[in-house]
Amino acid sequence: MDMKYGHEKLQADILVVGGGIAGLTAAVSLKEIDPDLDVLIVEKQTAGYSGKANKGGGVLQYFDLSAIKPEDFVAYHAQAIGCFLGDQELMAKYVSMNNRMLDKLVEWGARLPKRPDGTYAVIPTGPMTAIIGVDLDITLKIRQTAEKMGVKIIDKVAVSDLLTAGGKIAGATGFSIINGTFYSIRAKAVILATGSQNYRVGPMWSSGRGDGIAAAYRAGAEMRNAEFGNFAQLVKVKSHQEVVYGENYMYNKNGEHITKRFRTGPEPDISSTAIAEWYKQMSADLGPITLKQEQASGGGLSGLWDRPYGQTFWRLNEESAARVDQDMEVCPMLIGEQSPVKVGHDMQTTIPGLYAIGDVSYCGSAAPGAVPAPPGRNRGSGILNAVFAGISCAQSAADTAKSGALAPVDEKQVNDSAERVYAPLQRASGCSAKDVIRLVQKAVGPMEQMVYMSAHRIATALRYVEKAKELSQTMKADDFHELLSCHEAEAMVLSAEMQFRAAQLRKESRGWFLREDYPETDNKNWLKWIIVKKQGDEMTFATEDVPYEKWPVKPQR
Amino acid sequence: MIDTKHQIRFDPTGCVGCKLCYKACFVDVIRWDEENKKPVFKYVEDCEHCFYCASVCKKGCIEVIPDYSSEKLLQTFDRYL
Repeated sequence: MDMKYGHEKLQADILVVGGGIAGLTAAVSLKEIDPDLDVLIVEKQTAGYSGKANKGGGVLQYFDLSAIKPEDFVAYHAQAIGCFLGDQELMAKYVSMNNRMLDKLVEWGARLPKRPDGTYAVIPTGPMTAIIGVDLDITLKIRQTAEKMGVKIIDKVAVSDLLTAGGKIAGATGFSIINGTFYSIRAKAVILATGSQNYRVGPMWSSGRGDGIAAAYRAGAEMRNAEFGNFAQLVKVKSHQEVVYGENYMYNKNGEHITKRFRTGPEPDISSTAIAEWYKQMSADLGPITLKQEQASGGGLSGLWDRPYGQTFWRLNEESAARVDQDMEVCPMLIGEQSPVKVGHDMQTTIPGLYAIGDVSYCGSAAPGAVPAPPGRNRGSGILNAVFAGISCAQSAADTAKSGALAPVDEKQVNDSAERVYAPLQRASGCSAKDVIRLVQKAVGPMEQMVYMSAHRIATALRYVEKAKELSQTMKADDFHELLSCHEAEAMVLSAEMQFRAAQLRKESRGWFLREDYPETDNKNWLKWIIVKKQGDEMTFATEDVPYEKWPVKPQR
Repeated sequence: MIDTKHQIRFDPTGCVGCKLCYKACFVDVIRWDEENKKPVFKYVEDCEHCFYCASVCKKGCIEVIPDYSSEKLLQTFDRYL
């Protein structure tokens, strides 16, 4: 193919795709293992500013490991949140590493508030859980550390496809969103740290657009738990600000406290049953649903610790929202958080040498079970899951890089990728990326299709996805910014297809996954993971038994 | 978020060309004019009103004015379409 925008050929021992906290953690951990490793981060915007860690509440989950045992939390989580679909061994490893991860973050420059006696300023949130604040410059601090250690960083380059050789990873391709230069990067190991799929619905921290999921899928990597990509949150209807824990104070237009209809005792966070109740009330003309002003906190955690960097960010958001919010009327908004790239305990995907960490593989790791990616009813787990995965992949990725050689470039793969990537720029006419995204959002946006599902409503959503898929073949871009949108729109179509088709198969309700037509949890037939894989041009589905026999907490069958 | 109608006001007089707003934008709304060392708010229709650009600007040159009504809740009830 004629590379009319230029062609940059690079190589590295290890390529990290994505410069959010997961990718930066992996890069720093690799350098700690071996300073001679040549580590390159490629980020489609700016490493250290991208990702979720610098746009959220800035909290880290904390476990007092002198008081609780990891297996106690695992037992609680397996039953109450993961609903026996979670890998208990991996969850135990995550909990065990908690205190070490906090110390590592401080070592890498993150600012965690401490008490005068030198201990972390911890706020308890439940019998076994607690949170600790972190300032929103956490990713910037780790970027600085990474650069000091010799990690190379290229910003404003979107990775589009993964290269393989003999079934193993060989590198990646991408393009500059500034000048369109094509990149082909050879690497002995590749670490995907590209975030989850949020379908471009919610603002702010839900920024993942699924391009890493799509790249892994196209390369033939298996996906797991794709149907658990439907997180939603109550937001104020005017400002769309989230109201964390607002589900406890929901009232209908008759003044009935409707929380009592779906919740009999304290629960850790919002549940899909809260979303379903909102839908039932609205359908029965009992809306709008409001929160009792005096009970709901408004969700802000900004005032609990002194966090100077994040303070202006939160203040601007809150002041602006306060100008439009007149009452506490709420409505659910899709967050999404599909994170299905299947990985083992070393975060390696089913393609040797390809790793996936953080929000791209949270559900795919099976650690959480039947719940979408962080927060996943587990506030503070997002940043630490990313750090956990980044540390966990490093030794294996370093070993892979040290034991292997760079594979020769497969020119056909590179050319096919370039042709696919630039196709929207070559078309004389066509639809826009946003035309495609609008259709995807018609499928994923409505709560009754995405969260409170039924066979009929899933089929309705799939019709929109099919239309979006057809239309995506005709996308036209006029510049590289639009080209990136086209690339992301393709990923959204792919994510939505695997989301709904997997949801169609799971004929039960479990954890966050909720079907009106199959309201019961079916431990006889559905202690299974749904595996999605590209074979030829087909999206194929299979199931894998959850090996719960080998874990301490067992379901009743 | 797509099809938003947020506005961004930029006062170039105090701008020192630090590039932080350009770096902070995670949705490629802001491009950088290398010649004049100033931000260009090129794709405002993709702004997600995160205020990150405004919050990192030490000189207070940037004001984000959200039009929340242009953000869709995507629900199928009339009041939230």
